[in-house]
Amino acid sequence: MASKDLVLESATDRNDRFERDALVFMDQLYAAALRYTKNPEDARDLVQDTYLKAFNSFHQFEEGTNLRAWLYRVLTTTFINTYRKDQRRPQLASGELEDWQLAEAQSHTSDLGKSAEVEALENLPDSDIKRALQEIPEEFRIAVYLADVEGFSYKEIADIVEVPAGTVMSRLHRGRKLLREKLADYAKELGYSTESKSKKGEKR
Amino acid sequence: MSHIEEIPCFEVLSSVVFIVEGAMEEAHNPQAIASHLDSCLACRSEVTHEQAMHSLLQDVLRRTCDEKAPADLQQSIHEALLRQVSGVGITEVVTQFSMTEISIEIDEFGNVEHSEIQIEETHVQRYEDS
Repeated sequence: MASKDLVLESATDRNDRFERDALVFMDQLYAAALRYTKNPEDARDLVQDTYLKAFNSFHQFEEGTNLRAWLYRVLTTTFINTYRKDQRRPQLASGELEDWQLAEAQSHTSDLGKSAEVEALENLPDSDIKRALQEIPEEFRIAVYLADVEGFSYKEIADIVEVPAGTVMSRLHRGRKLLREKLADYAKELGYSTESKSKKGEKR
Repeated sequence: MSHIEEIPCFEVLSSVVFIVEGAMEEAHNPQAIASHLDSCLACRSEVTHEQAMHSLLQDVLRRTCDEKAPADLQQSIHEALLRQVSGVGITEVVTQFSMTEISIEIDEFGNVEHSEIQIEETHVQRYEDS
């Protein structure tokens, strides 16, 4: 649609266009909102607020650019600004600002450890996967969710969350590591023995 | 050709996220990592494992996080949008709030991290005229 047509577009037409283009992402946004807010009522409100806010600034959205990424940006900023009043400032997990690449010495995993880790992950029930995701700190959870469930690139995530690309990489690295540690713990409770190299306090 | 720095295994292993994300341009030392991987079988095997774990984790997460929105949510959004579009008989009170938090941290390596957080809140209260 040419921009002069946009000017002539009535509010109702714009609403129809918005609903047609944007509501197809509702289930996806709801699943993300559930991960963000951790409960169905807030997730529902967050998705509705997201659509109302997105519609209000829909005139700023350029057609042909990524509507889905833009909706996730509105969802994420709405969540951070509104649904987290009690902890207004993001809890910067300790160490996020340090040079994480050098801060943690890593060692190789044995072949046995590798196959045990794969086996454990393949056998964990969905409820454990959700629990692990809920238990990792919010900024890591959001980054990992956007990358690994929604398939956004680190550059898109930087744009959605409004942090530098390097911070996204650090959050993905640490977030996935935390998630795998949790999953390895649950697997252990279920009787799978993993020796994940990332297990806390494990000496090798 | 410039000399490529030799780096230890742990430095390569802590850079795996860049390889998995296809974002080598974000790593500090992409040539050194590539050159290390050429000659270190253990690290290559670790990278293969990390890629497999990453793809498995993605499969598991995608399978798990596939909730559908409640059946009436679409209708509820539709109605809320219509109320907003028609705007008839509605009085809006808009309250805007904006602040910037700036923090500077210096770690033990002398790296300076500067971060700014812009916080903006807009509250719109609507009163339907009766």
